[in-house]
Amino acid sequence: MYRKQVRRRRAVLALLIVGSFVLLTITYGRSSNGLQRGVSTIFSPVQSVSDRALKPARDLVDWFDKTFDARGENSRLKSELVTARTQAVAGQEALNENKQLRKLVELDHDPALASSAYEEVIGRVTVRSPTVWHSSVGIDVGSSDGVHVDDPVISGDGVVGRIASVEGGSSQVMLLTDHESAISAKVLPAGVQGVVKPEVGNPEDLILDFIDSTKRVHGGLTVVTAGWCTQGLCSLFPPGLPLGEVTKASIIEQEAKEQVQVRPYADLRNLDLVQVLTGGSRG
Amino acid sequence: MILTGKIVARIVAICMLGVLLQLSFFSRVELFHVSPDILPALIVCLGLLGGSMTGAVSGFSVGLFLDCLLVEALGISSLVLLGIGYLAGLFRERFEIHSSLVPALLCMGLTMFAELGFGLIQLLFGLDAPLSTLIVRDLLLKSVYAFFLGWPMYLLVRRVLRPALVEDPKVQRRRQPTVLGA
Repeated sequence: MYRKQVRRRRAVLALLIVGSFVLLTITYGRSSNGLQRGVSTIFSPVQSVSDRALKPARDLVDWFDKTFDARGENSRLKSELVTARTQAVAGQEALNENKQLRKLVELDHDPALASSAYEEVIGRVTVRSPTVWHSSVGIDVGSSDGVHVDDPVISGDGVVGRIASVEGGSSQVMLLTDHESAISAKVLPAGVQGVVKPEVGNPEDLILDFIDSTKRVHGGLTVVTAGWCTQGLCSLFPPGLPLGEVTKASIIEQEAKEQVQVRPYADLRNLDLVQVLTGGSRG
Repeated sequence: MILTGKIVARIVAICMLGVLLQLSFFSRVELFHVSPDILPALIVCLGLLGGSMTGAVSGFSVGLFLDCLLVEALGISSLVLLGIGYLAGLFRERFEIHSSLVPALLCMGLTMFAELGFGLIQLLFGLDAPLSTLIVRDLLLKSVYAFFLGWPMYLLVRRVLRPALVEDPKVQRRRQPTVLGA
């Protein structure tokens, strides 16, 4: 009896392991399948509701996190944070949302967007991947709102990523910090071009790779999307969208590795509202 | 654990709630720049209370549900979480849990194992970007969070699944003695 039970357990375990490998083999590197679409469609409203319900709790934890960060800086900041404590829980939700929407409206007037006739769809972040190996967020707008795969996604501060998959009422955004992300970019005003790639595990740093080592780049310069178009093939991002600021640009690294470090403008760890750029002329 | 329809329904509810909480809350808050990951700890609790098969099946299902919601390649999370569920269950079957620190320590250790597992699978499939050393900080802090979240989570899951736990001393205390011939 005991042996039979052990055999049955082993069989179930083997079945589960084989099942995982089969699923992995079938779905790795492919777009969403029927099962994922179905589950995502069913749970999209639930996620949206839970996202809104848990926002005050998230704000409270964020407040603790920010307080810990500020403690090490100086006493002035500390006293400011204590004053902000009273405002944080009650009013911060509305204030943050208002601030983000204002920034989005300001970015609408960006000449880069005005010239490329993009339509903007505002989405709210509902879920976030728990592991650093995949950097993605789910938003509550999808194909029914006109969102398509590969549409650029921005926040009020700058580029956030691009749409990786779309369902009826939700989409997944691949963030700049995902290991599969790569965006052609240029440094202003020098005009040095390269590819912005992430450093896996570090959401505060990007790498501008493949730059021309003969041209010098220094800290503080702005990095924007390059937006190219050649022989009918165009970049997914329009030119001139703010990406980040050059933080570290040692000459040795520029000569040896042809890369500089960039801090993204968008706060990718605390995204709440984002804007999907649909349609438009790319590149 | 005695698995009845009601208990299975409770386990399914716990798993779904855990995944939704993880995606909507824990993944989106940060303490010291790292988000807690409660799913490995949840699977460890289920494995500790239900045994290796319950742990493995719960881990597989939670992983599948998670990958479906995140629209990522199916199978990676399932493989990792079924592994830790099975290991937690195996621990329960081989050893008696006397110390209240055991669930918390197991949550910590197996969360680290899960994070390493995710990383290993990702490396096997190839990374298109350089790896930051900050990943070590992420790994260690996630394990520490799992230690602190593990014990309350274990108590909560045990409370929900209490009717199915044959070895629960409180259940045993309430059980009436059998009188022969009565």
